[in-house]
Amino acid sequence: MDFFSNLQLGFETALTPVNLLFCLIGVALGTAVGVLPGIGPTATMAMLLPITFGFDPVTSLIMLAGIYYGAQYGGSTTAILINLPGESSAAVTALDGHAMAKKGLAGKALAIAALGSFFAGTVGTLFVALFATPISRVALEFGPAEYFSLVVVGLVASIALASGSTLKALATIVLGLLLGTVGQDGTSGVPRFTFGQFELYEGLNFVSLAVGLFGVAEILRNLERGISRDVVVKKVEKLWLTREDFRRIRMPVLRGTGLGAALGVLPGAGHVLASFVSYSVEKRVSKHPEEFGKGAMAGVAGPESANNAAAQTAFIPLLTLGLPANSIMALLVGALIIQGITPGPGVITDEPELFWGLIVSFWIGNLFLVILNLPLIGLWVKMLKIPYRWLFPAIIAFATIGTYSIGLNNYFVYAIAFFGILGYVLIKLGCEPAPLLLGFILGPLLEEYLRRSLIISRGDATVFLTRPLSAALLAVAALALLVAVLPSVRRKREVVFEEEDG
Amino acid sequence: MSLNHLAEASGRPRPARRSLSRYRAASALAAAAFALAACGGGTDGGTDTAADGGEDAAAGYPEQDITFVVPFSAGGPTDTVTRLIAEPMAAELGASIIVQNVEGAGGTIAAGQVAGAEADGYTVLMHHIGMSTAPALYANLPYEPLEDFKPVGLVTEVPMTIIARKDFEPETLEELVTYLKANADDVTLANAGVGAASQLCGLLLQEAVGVKLTEVPYKGTGPALTDLVGGQVDLMCDQTTNTTGQIKGDEVKAYAVTTPERVESLPDLPTTEEAGLPELQVGVWHGLYVPADTPDAVVEKLTAALQKALEDDNVVSQLAELGAAPSSQEDATPEAHREQLASQIELWAPIIKDAGVVVQ
Amino acid sequence: MDLKSARKDLGAGAVFVGFGLAFASTASTYEVGSGLRMGPGYFPLVLGGLLVLLGLAIAAKAFISPETGELGPVPWRAAVLLVAAILFFGFAIRGLGVVPTLFVSVLLAALAGPKMRPLPALVIATVLTAMSVGIFIYALQLPLPLLGPWVG
Repeated sequence: MDFFSNLQLGFETALTPVNLLFCLIGVALGTAVGVLPGIGPTATMAMLLPITFGFDPVTSLIMLAGIYYGAQYGGSTTAILINLPGESSAAVTALDGHAMAKKGLAGKALAIAALGSFFAGTVGTLFVALFATPISRVALEFGPAEYFSLVVVGLVASIALASGSTLKALATIVLGLLLGTVGQDGTSGVPRFTFGQFELYEGLNFVSLAVGLFGVAEILRNLERGISRDVVVKKVEKLWLTREDFRRIRMPVLRGTGLGAALGVLPGAGHVLASFVSYSVEKRVSKHPEEFGKGAMAGVAGPESANNAAAQTAFIPLLTLGLPANSIMALLVGALIIQGITPGPGVITDEPELFWGLIVSFWIGNLFLVILNLPLIGLWVKMLKIPYRWLFPAIIAFATIGTYSIGLNNYFVYAIAFFGILGYVLIKLGCEPAPLLLGFILGPLLEEYLRRSLIISRGDATVFLTRPLSAALLAVAALALLVAVLPSVRRKREVVFEEEDG
Repeated sequence: MSLNHLAEASGRPRPARRSLSRYRAASALAAAAFALAACGGGTDGGTDTAADGGEDAAAGYPEQDITFVVPFSAGGPTDTVTRLIAEPMAAELGASIIVQNVEGAGGTIAAGQVAGAEADGYTVLMHHIGMSTAPALYANLPYEPLEDFKPVGLVTEVPMTIIARKDFEPETLEELVTYLKANADDVTLANAGVGAASQLCGLLLQEAVGVKLTEVPYKGTGPALTDLVGGQVDLMCDQTTNTTGQIKGDEVKAYAVTTPERVESLPDLPTTEEAGLPELQVGVWHGLYVPADTPDAVVEKLTAALQKALEDDNVVSQLAELGAAPSSQEDATPEAHREQLASQIELWAPIIKDAGVVVQ
Repeated sequence: MDLKSARKDLGAGAVFVGFGLAFASTASTYEVGSGLRMGPGYFPLVLGGLLVLLGLAIAAKAFISPETGELGPVPWRAAVLLVAAILFFGFAIRGLGVVPTLFVSVLLAALAGPKMRPLPALVIATVLTAMSVGIFIYALQLPLPLLGPWVG
């Protein structure tokens, strides 16, 4: 009954008034910065680091972690309401979430996001509590070759993000991959496509791209008609989900949770891939794939669950091995060090109340989040009643200052304008920008893992096939590609035949 | 992606390149206020507008918030060291210190920004060994380390450790040297990217042993360490800040520490000198800089505050936990700092040139 | 075939070919290396070439089975004003500080609205600037100066 005594220790730690309070502050703050475009959880956590010095290590970590997964909740709100994803995972939510909002179903979309997230967060937390140690060992089996193959799977999955032409989707993905190469090359240190500007050495920023491609391009589309669409969303229907709705999101939530929990453990690419892959899976298994992109509930439920399950399991490498899976986890490493705790495999045994207290706080935090967010839905939906002539300048104001605050880098702001125009042009020409965003996120990873695999194998390209895990992943990718391309080939044939007949 | 001082490399962390944190003289009170303001939307003013600068401002210095620019990401070792000393320095100076992380291009973006900042003492750069290697690494550096800055004082020197994957054959440093000489072509050496401390230490190691290994660059220490623990790469050399937990947890094999003295937190780990490779001496030294035209009176105040901070009990014990020690009072002076910078620039230039690592 | 109906595909093809050429030609100036020992130029060069091919394929498709549909109107005035608003923010934020920069940017953006007249735009700019300062500077404590060095 070791597990239960540990869990009890966790509850004792997490339920102290101080820890409860700071858990609440953390998740509330996380939701707030998640809603605002630009300012992400990393910046917020960095800003709050100094005030956590005075806290207990557990309290400090509970609050900082709360900001992180709280932001995952908040990020979907703006994605659904105004097509402005603030976090990479929310970009997927924007596809069908915003389409639902346009149909007057914003309340339902938000409710699906909140409930799916809560379920996934709970399962993800349980997953961490039960399997953290064995799982982290599996994650270590992933070398560069496996990551490369995993990223390939993600790229193939991203074709499903587009509801239009496969050819155009492929081209936008490749354009995204290319945009991802801007900046200093990680392997050689050579700056690429930077026009000699030091500000571009770090590459383009995701938020600039997302705000431009989605937010600004959407504004331009809304302004096309030249008439004042005072309310973008004409009618706001029922906020709450029907029994039928629950039935429809049940399986997507379960699948998304499973995918997210598994992929979240993998450092680097895992968390980002979870929501994209989940979307792709839902579209494939759906009986109505044509609804995707036009407001399919499964397109919100799956990715949102995946994203939040991954947000919890991403803590596994940090908690069990002291190895941070992303820049946010790295920040927590810093927080631990400043608290005098050396992150490493010893933390579970040396600091059990930290480990278990934090895990239990995840669940409490998720509970706070759903309690906090469900009543807010009514308020958010009212926001859509704001006249558009007020709403879009507000989006511009928040987007510019938020993006600037990420890096105090004016090139991030200039990039919004560039990608706003590019996004608008692409939409006009029948290309959807979502695959571009995924290409942009995965491009640097693809190149990095590819080159690293080849360096380690000393130029032997067969590593991708001789390592069983990598070969299996590539097989999945090939299969998915086949499934993605076949229907469009068939459809094209039909069109050709029809023309011949006619 | 990426980790700890990711950027010590040239990494490209997607989110948050620069972030800001505020340290206050009266930190406890401010902390409460901040927490409330941040979540409730209260009004905790505290944002000063532009400085008036001027020569006679030195007398009243500091009259406003001071910004410490850290060239690497929040949570990394350099950031941690900065935050440790920022608190006691803020108390000593009687002003708030804002820590601002300006990542990118191996720390040169931050240094370039501070070099061009108002020379009034309100913009201070924390930089590590990378300050001395940048001139050799970057072909078009927009500043001159010795001419565009005034050193304030050395802060600390973080030792480095030579570590390997757990099942790597050699057991001791001596065996490692023999092994490397025999199997140089087959050994992979991980580093955290171009210009990272781990890359520099790796260069020194290869030079000391007299071999050329296959270098595998990562975007930051975190992913590199992950692959080392996972057995994907063989060897690495990195700061104790990053490696202590893994060494103690027996996830990696440690051969030696690269400083003259053993490290308190890893008492069983021999020094390179003890283990038979005395040529390999390297530590990640940190120092504070201000723009070159900053009045001397202001620099004196900063130096005095730094010296005081380095005697702070909390700073001493936390640094020890990281395997580091605060610089001595004599080293925490502009003179000693300038000397260190100059000698290190000379030391690294030929090593980097021989290795052929130059960023255009 | 009706060229007008194929505009979408031809335009998209042209955009991709253009980007592909730009990236590939720049990439070829970096060290390319070989497939097994890639230099910094290799990956973007290959992708740039691939993008050109995909662009050509999309354009070719225009002649076989074009994607139909009107391009629809383009809000030229709004596009220019929004871009100006964003670029102004990036250009002026360091020099002017948060308040004047945001005010001008929001004013420009607000003017992009349909049938927007100067007075309501001024009201929108004032209110939104105050709101943003409240949220970002006071609540979130971003240490950005309200007024920059250009305005003292």
